[in-house]
Amino acid sequence: MGSLFRSEEVCLAQLFLQSASAYSCISELGERGLLEFRDLNPKVSPFQRRFVGEVRRCEDMEKTFTFLQQELRGAGRVLGPCPESPRAPLAREALRVQEQSEQLAQELREVTRNRSSLRGRLRDLRQYLHVLREGQRFTSLPAPLGSPPRPRALSDREPILDPSLHQHLERKINFVAGVIHPWRVTAFERLLWRACRGYLVASFVEMPEPMEDPATGESVTWVIFLISYWGEQIGQKIRKISDCFHCQVYPYPESEASREDTITGLHSQIQDLSVVLEETEQYLAQVLDKVALALPAWRVQVQKMKAIYLILNQCSFDVTEKCLIAEVWCPVQDLTQVQDALRQGSYQSGSSVECFVQRVPTSESPPTLIRTNKFTAGFQSIVDAYGVASYQEVNPAPYAIITFPFIFAIMFGDVGHGLLMFLFALWMVLYEDSPRLRQGTNEIWLTFFEGRYLILLMGAFSIYTGFIYNECFSKATVIFPSAWSVATMANHSSWSSAYLATHPSLTLDPNVTGVFRGPYPFGIDPIWSLATNHLNFLNSFKMKMSVVLGIVHMGFGVVLGVFNHLHFKQRHRLVLEFLPEMIFLLALFGYLVFLIFYKWLKYSAADSRVAPSILIHFIDMFLFTSNVENLPLYQGQVPVQTVLVVLALASVPVLLLGTPLYLWCRQRAPSRPVATGEQEPLLDGQEAGNSVNATKEDVESGGHSPDAKHLDFSEIFMHQAIHTIEYCLGCVSNTASYLRLWALSLAHAQLSEVLWTMVMRNGFVGLSYVGGVVLVPVFAAFAVLTVAILLVMEGLSAFLHALRLHWVEFQNKFYVGAGYKLCPFTFAPDTWD
Amino acid sequence: MPGYSEFYFNVDHGYLEGLVRGFKAGILKSADYVNLAQCETLEDLKLHLQTTDYGNFLANETGPLTISTIDDKLKAKLLTEFHYFRNHAFEPLATFLNFITYSYMIDNVILLITGTLHQRPIAELVPKCHPLGSFEQMEAVSIASNPTELYNAILVDTPLAAFFQDCLSENDLDEMNIEIMRNKLYKSYLEAFYKFCEKQGGTTAEIMRPILEFEADRRAFIITINSFGTELSKDDRETLYPTCGKLYPEGLHMLANADDYEQVKRVAEYYAEYKAVFEGVGSGSGEKTLEDAFFEHEVKMNVLAFNNQFHFGVFYAYVKLKEQECRNIVWIAECISQRHRTKINNYIPIF
Repeated sequence: MGSLFRSEEVCLAQLFLQSASAYSCISELGERGLLEFRDLNPKVSPFQRRFVGEVRRCEDMEKTFTFLQQELRGAGRVLGPCPESPRAPLAREALRVQEQSEQLAQELREVTRNRSSLRGRLRDLRQYLHVLREGQRFTSLPAPLGSPPRPRALSDREPILDPSLHQHLERKINFVAGVIHPWRVTAFERLLWRACRGYLVASFVEMPEPMEDPATGESVTWVIFLISYWGEQIGQKIRKISDCFHCQVYPYPESEASREDTITGLHSQIQDLSVVLEETEQYLAQVLDKVALALPAWRVQVQKMKAIYLILNQCSFDVTEKCLIAEVWCPVQDLTQVQDALRQGSYQSGSSVECFVQRVPTSESPPTLIRTNKFTAGFQSIVDAYGVASYQEVNPAPYAIITFPFIFAIMFGDVGHGLLMFLFALWMVLYEDSPRLRQGTNEIWLTFFEGRYLILLMGAFSIYTGFIYNECFSKATVIFPSAWSVATMANHSSWSSAYLATHPSLTLDPNVTGVFRGPYPFGIDPIWSLATNHLNFLNSFKMKMSVVLGIVHMGFGVVLGVFNHLHFKQRHRLVLEFLPEMIFLLALFGYLVFLIFYKWLKYSAADSRVAPSILIHFIDMFLFTSNVENLPLYQGQVPVQTVLVVLALASVPVLLLGTPLYLWCRQRAPSRPVATGEQEPLLDGQEAGNSVNATKEDVESGGHSPDAKHLDFSEIFMHQAIHTIEYCLGCVSNTASYLRLWALSLAHAQLSEVLWTMVMRNGFVGLSYVGGVVLVPVFAAFAVLTVAILLVMEGLSAFLHALRLHWVEFQNKFYVGAGYKLCPFTFAPDTWD
Repeated sequence: MPGYSEFYFNVDHGYLEGLVRGFKAGILKSADYVNLAQCETLEDLKLHLQTTDYGNFLANETGPLTISTIDDKLKAKLLTEFHYFRNHAFEPLATFLNFITYSYMIDNVILLITGTLHQRPIAELVPKCHPLGSFEQMEAVSIASNPTELYNAILVDTPLAAFFQDCLSENDLDEMNIEIMRNKLYKSYLEAFYKFCEKQGGTTAEIMRPILEFEADRRAFIITINSFGTELSKDDRETLYPTCGKLYPEGLHMLANADDYEQVKRVAEYYAEYKAVFEGVGSGSGEKTLEDAFFEHEVKMNVLAFNNQFHFGVFYAYVKLKEQECRNIVWIAECISQRHRTKINNYIPIF
């Protein structure tokens, strides 16, 4: 739990890696995921770095892998994920992988080329066959079956050859036959017509079976054309045009007999080719099997290898070139583990000299590392969404674990709704290991799933507040007998039946003995749900509750600031900031809380008519007046209030000027050493020399150096002035802001009541069977609306408001959130996909 | 409805304008060029381009990297983006985008005709065409033997037909005539485009007018300078000038009468911006050529187009800037591969 309270101690360290064993050391560190590496050559462009050759080699390998994968996908195989995570390959192993993968790729390329050329040949032959077959319709003597040809050409210029004419002209007619892509047919036809001025007859017919398009791989129903023309010049033109349109042109034998011959020849050729093709396919499948087996592991290996070389590129060489120096951010707790990893890395590479890690002092603020588990992760991410904690400042997340669901529940108080939410979250929690839930692709679903523990607590707390408000789907439940007795009242004022019949609403007077028998044991008395002044009563209660909870919440935030001041050894801020802040808050708003409780305790039903108004008193307190009509709450109220206001006002200048003046005074005292008790490191002067970075600008040093402090006095003052104004005004506006608790809980209660009376009550038409039938659709509507509006919509709105109350009202009292996260170098499994 | 385009522009074209502005952010900055110019090999160049918006566009190239593959891939990327625009565009933006492609189509037609004239096989010529200007009947251009046939058989179906009216003649296609045809086509194209932009009105016209005027004037200058020492008569020359520029009519007339480079320069001096362009031209071998100076001015104008919203000019500007970027990268790549580092900095930075 200690690590959740504030971020872990992180130090800057240098790794001295023997160049022989650097690779395996980084590999080992990557497996463990401990360190964040810093780029020591930020000014060197990527292609001028040291290991660019190796990185390029990895990229080449990846290119080969991509090719292999494409081939696999093309063959309709899905690549499974890598079962176990193989370690990064050593140099020799990497060479082997490269060799094998390239060999496989080469083999695959050859086989696929063979296959595609075979397929091309086959397609060619088939097309030729079809052309000859279909062409017969136009050129043969009277069609054997008398079937009319199906030319695509427009009928007006489609002189199907008259057999007699054909005989007559036979010697002069030449043919061009081929296939063309269906999209190009119209343009082709038009161009033919225009270019050759109609001295030709073109017939088009669709091929009976679709075939692959070699360019796109799609299956296309090609169109066969047969052009008969007169004259050689036109023939050349036609050939040229068909060339331009990427037509496949086939020789078309002139005589019927030679056509028949060609067709039989084609048949046998096709058969032979099919056999060869089948064998090729089988061989290809074997090669693909080999690829599918090896590829997943190779990919992970090479990706790891590339990641390692990219890290090595960030290191710098020492003068002797024997040793690589890396700068890392390392959690102090893990230093021994790092040393262990380095030892193992050196051992694996068989190096005699060990690599070692050494801490380096720094003035830079280290990254923030807060270790979370599956329960705390959701809460931490809420805080991180606002801003990552500055290094080692108090982390609000552990408190948010309770306050967040609680504040949510105040706005969402309903036993029924809370229970539904709780059960939904419980289902997610119980089945959290099921891969189906975990690997959803829906982003919204994953968001819910990540926050399952948050939702679980929100549901549980809503059940609790629901009991307090005594509401379950807007209905009150009677767990204990009501403390109000109607019978006593009726006896006392002797209501007759006739009186009861004529008066729809009656008053229960708590001042009559026996009518009100003390407070209800837990929550709101269920009898209030029958009362006409139900809302008035609840509003007053919820408003005061919101203010009280808000002030407690903010006060807690201010107190948390103390831990920051103590940790960062800024004791002056304890006196000059925490104290005035606390006085300001308590003297004004703490006093208001006191008044609320005082009035609750002091005044009972008996003397409620003379009870003074807190609001008027509070206003008078600031105006330093007193109102005669408003009775004082207690003796000596005016002087006490005067003192409190003066105290609060007096704390403002302290807050405004205290810290700046203190810092100024300390600077004026020149004899004092700069560093005692401050966070600045003692070794500040040496530090630049220690760091490998030659110039200090390379490291992004903020305003941490002492020189900057001398200059920025005005900035400190400005900062403090802004802080003061923000705090003092914030106390007022933030208190008002907590009234949203009241507003939202009211809205939720009213909405659920509307849903009950307007929808569900319609189902209770009678106690007959008809009523039971009607109830079904009515309940369906009620259930859908409850989930959609009350649970999802209202839940989201309450969530947002709870979020805002935490981020703005609570966290701005102590939380800076100007840090950055520690991103350790790790071979995370999810980065491979 | 001319003007007030800001009220309704986003209804139809808001998405694409947002997109083109997003793409514009991917155009290489001068810092990128500095890095590119430091590269030692084409592999380095590729490595650096990977860190920019181009990403892995060269990742799947097997075999050694050549400049032509880089060029092809750069163009292919532009083509993909442009097709995306075109496929999502509504009228009148669709027509506007079509107009952009027409200039490339003209170039392609001329390239193919010239190629066929020199007996080159069509398969060798097609890859040299700019992909933005390819159209279905393009390859059939080579079968035409004179402009009338070219028009009647092939181009009549294409959008270029409208520009062809002026250059119908029974002349044979020789080199001179092709050049004349190209310029006439361009003239009609520019004038039509100019008229179209004028019709759009509003900011589109405001932005496109100076860009197209400059384009027209640049052509006039280049035609004049290139025609020195050829058999083109002065009257013929004047008919080739696009008439939608700032030079029209007096400047064009003076240009038509110019006899050498100095006279052209004197004409330019009447116009402030062209004066600046001509003054930027150096005489030495390592210095800027007139072409580069014109390109530089064009880039400047195209960058300015992004300063206004709710107009089509950004699309034109984006395509032109991207084209310039391709030229720059190819130039740098050429310098690297030929180890000709002294001229490597002669690219034209955009941002």
